[in-house]
Amino acid sequence: MMQYNILIAGVGGQGNLVCGRVIAEAALRQGLRPTIGETFGASRRGGTVFTHLRLAERDLGPLIPEGQLDLLLGLEPLETLRGAVKLASSRTTAILSTVRVETPESLAGKVAYPKIDDILSSLETLCGAIRAVDPTESLEKIGTMKVLNTYMLGAIAGDSDLPIKSAILKETLKDTLGSWEINKAAFEAGMKDVAQSAH
Amino acid sequence: MTGISGKPGGTSLLSGNEAIARGALEAGICFSASYPGTPSTEIATALMEVSERYGLYAEWSVNEKVALEACTGASWAGIPSICSMKSLGLNVASDFLLNMNLSGSGPGGLVIVVCDDPRGHSSSNEQDSRFYAKASYLPLLEPSSCQQAKDIIPFALDISQRHQIPVIVRSTTRLSHSRALVKLGQMPKRKCTANNELAKGLYNVPNPHLRHKELDEKRSKVHREFENSTLNWISGSDKADTIIIASGVSFKYAEEAVELLGLENIQLGNLVTSHPLPLNTIIEWIQGKKRVVIAEEVDPFIEEEILSLAGELEWGERHQFYGKRNGFIPFYGELNTDVMKQALLKMEGTDLQVPGERKKAADAAQSILIPRPLTFCAGCTHRNVYWALQKVKQRLKGNLVVAGDIGCYSLGVFYGESMETMQSMGSGIGVASGLGQLYRFGFEKKIVAVAGDSTFFHACLPGLVNAKHKNAEVTFLILDNSTTAMTGFQPHPGSRTQKKDEKKVSIEAAVKSIAPDFYQRADASDPDALTDLLHKTIGMKGLKVLLLDSVCRLEEARLGETYENLPEVTIDSEACRGESCKICTSKFGCIALTWNAEKKRPEIVEHICVRCGACIAVCPHDAIGQGES
Repeated sequence: MMQYNILIAGVGGQGNLVCGRVIAEAALRQGLRPTIGETFGASRRGGTVFTHLRLAERDLGPLIPEGQLDLLLGLEPLETLRGAVKLASSRTTAILSTVRVETPESLAGKVAYPKIDDILSSLETLCGAIRAVDPTESLEKIGTMKVLNTYMLGAIAGDSDLPIKSAILKETLKDTLGSWEINKAAFEAGMKDVAQSAH
Repeated sequence: MTGISGKPGGTSLLSGNEAIARGALEAGICFSASYPGTPSTEIATALMEVSERYGLYAEWSVNEKVALEACTGASWAGIPSICSMKSLGLNVASDFLLNMNLSGSGPGGLVIVVCDDPRGHSSSNEQDSRFYAKASYLPLLEPSSCQQAKDIIPFALDISQRHQIPVIVRSTTRLSHSRALVKLGQMPKRKCTANNELAKGLYNVPNPHLRHKELDEKRSKVHREFENSTLNWISGSDKADTIIIASGVSFKYAEEAVELLGLENIQLGNLVTSHPLPLNTIIEWIQGKKRVVIAEEVDPFIEEEILSLAGELEWGERHQFYGKRNGFIPFYGELNTDVMKQALLKMEGTDLQVPGERKKAADAAQSILIPRPLTFCAGCTHRNVYWALQKVKQRLKGNLVVAGDIGCYSLGVFYGESMETMQSMGSGIGVASGLGQLYRFGFEKKIVAVAGDSTFFHACLPGLVNAKHKNAEVTFLILDNSTTAMTGFQPHPGSRTQKKDEKKVSIEAAVKSIAPDFYQRADASDPDALTDLLHKTIGMKGLKVLLLDSVCRLEEARLGETYENLPEVTIDSEACRGESCKICTSKFGCIALTWNAEKKRPEIVEHICVRCGACIAVCPHDAIGQGES
């Protein structure tokens, strides 16, 4: 049975759930059956947010089992690694933003936020492939960090294993999000930046 | 993203909660009353959003007990109703539940939806609410998928109407908060007309025991219906030697675990009618099986019923049982496919083999991971209150105890452990009213209770009246941000703005009518002024109440308020004492303040800062400032 599992890992307020719903809607348009497991609740107060998105021909349980992860979409590096520790395997491709969101304790200087290079090399040992992008420059040009989720959707759109055509993903975004000009720019920048990133 | 009003015959991507709301529309329900609580909130929210369109009455009640009472009133008058709540809400409503079950719910029909939260993702406890179905002798249904969550509501309402008892539908977090394609059914022509005559004798006295007998007879009738229910189904070959009996979302986990392990000699039974348990169905399923696995969240509710049946029928020799009771499945926490896989392997006498390399990589990654605790938003005034309380505690040389309550301000437990206790809605003032009597036994600490505005109405009034009446030595802080922030900004009686048919109830007027020994309304935005006020008030005798005007930054953002016209907060790096101080970042801990390790100075995170200026008062060296507006 065809099955493709995506985990969107991030921090409350990054638009994680919207990201999941856009991919799910695009999957529907492609004739797949999405099942989404959302974790939220207290998450708006700066906590970890994981969205489990499962694409198949029939309904699956809401949580991705260990080792069954195909695509790890990382909106934040630390949370990407947290997701990988739980679910990744050699079949996993991680595509992540390297922009950190500090924790209350790292902000306070009580613990050190891990070095990005250490996170990336850890991800390399846990996943089959990783692609890291730094959206700072592109998003500064667009003028807001709030479209990071759309930027990252652009980054995964170019991935050859994703069973959703990038045109369909883009069209779905256009139909579901407001202020399309900004989102379009973010989507296209994400697509371009990931293509230029080292494999 | 069409919401719950998609066309009959079509499909929609609905969450478990939205599916339940859609089911309520398809069932013809006309009345919804609820109190918000994760993971149940979106059921009532979804119904509220379409209430005008479908002629539904939907309210956020003051608490779950009132919600259940309101729904029962509607059902008694012939109006089909739905009452949704989280696990802890049913505890609040249970006093009424265990009376109304005997009285009967009348002709309208009443569906109670309770959403449990295994692992307590968004709860102060981990509980299994299904035991209320047993305690109240009421039918209990557990859907396994979003589709079933929708389909089961009309089914539940039908049982309720025919037997005139409420039917409990139980969901758990992963069903309520998952989304899948749901095939939509017909919407009936909604025709709700209230009976002007209520049935006679809607009470249990003078013979509650005879009502109990009648209820047991209703239970037997429902039991017979459940024996024939097509909701319970079994897959796989009946020649298999093993069966997994699973309820709720555990069924999906069991199904996938069997598939991943490639187990063939195994059947899967999906039990949806969990109480009263369809014993003959279970006997039929188990017959000829050597091994019986029971998968459910949270407690061994079904398992214990089956084990007691096994005892009666002397099955010990013929079947081996695997579940929570003998530790094959952990008796606490959530289930998932991996936990089920582990349990099935254990049953087979093996263990999950994790390759050494993967384990090494995971351990190495784990060692660099840091936790991400929840925290107050930038500019949240709750932080100011706890900051001030910590200051006062220092001034009192630690002689202060804080009894906390349920809401965003519960996060005080993560903020320098600012509160000593935090259990249930309203328990802060109740616990404080007891502690406030202990001076006679040598208890020397000053006592503070903290609660929010929605919680004040929900459960604090009896505790506050008790504290006043018994002359308890307590300071009660009401953090009034005018919204139910934790669950997504639902309005409550004290909210600043009210719907056109609803009237505001003033917290201030309610408190003043109780006439505490001291009352003051104050602003929570200035940590310095707050510290002095708290210190002064806590030092007074008797019952003191401070109503603190607070600000929810998320609610402000939602309402479109911006802070960009306010002057920027700045840090004077000359005046800052750097490493030797760090009070702003490491003690006050607003997430808009970060520590720059290279420069050894704090910095403002511009895109997070809401320019409230609370941190200005926190710096002992006047290094933080704000320009003129």
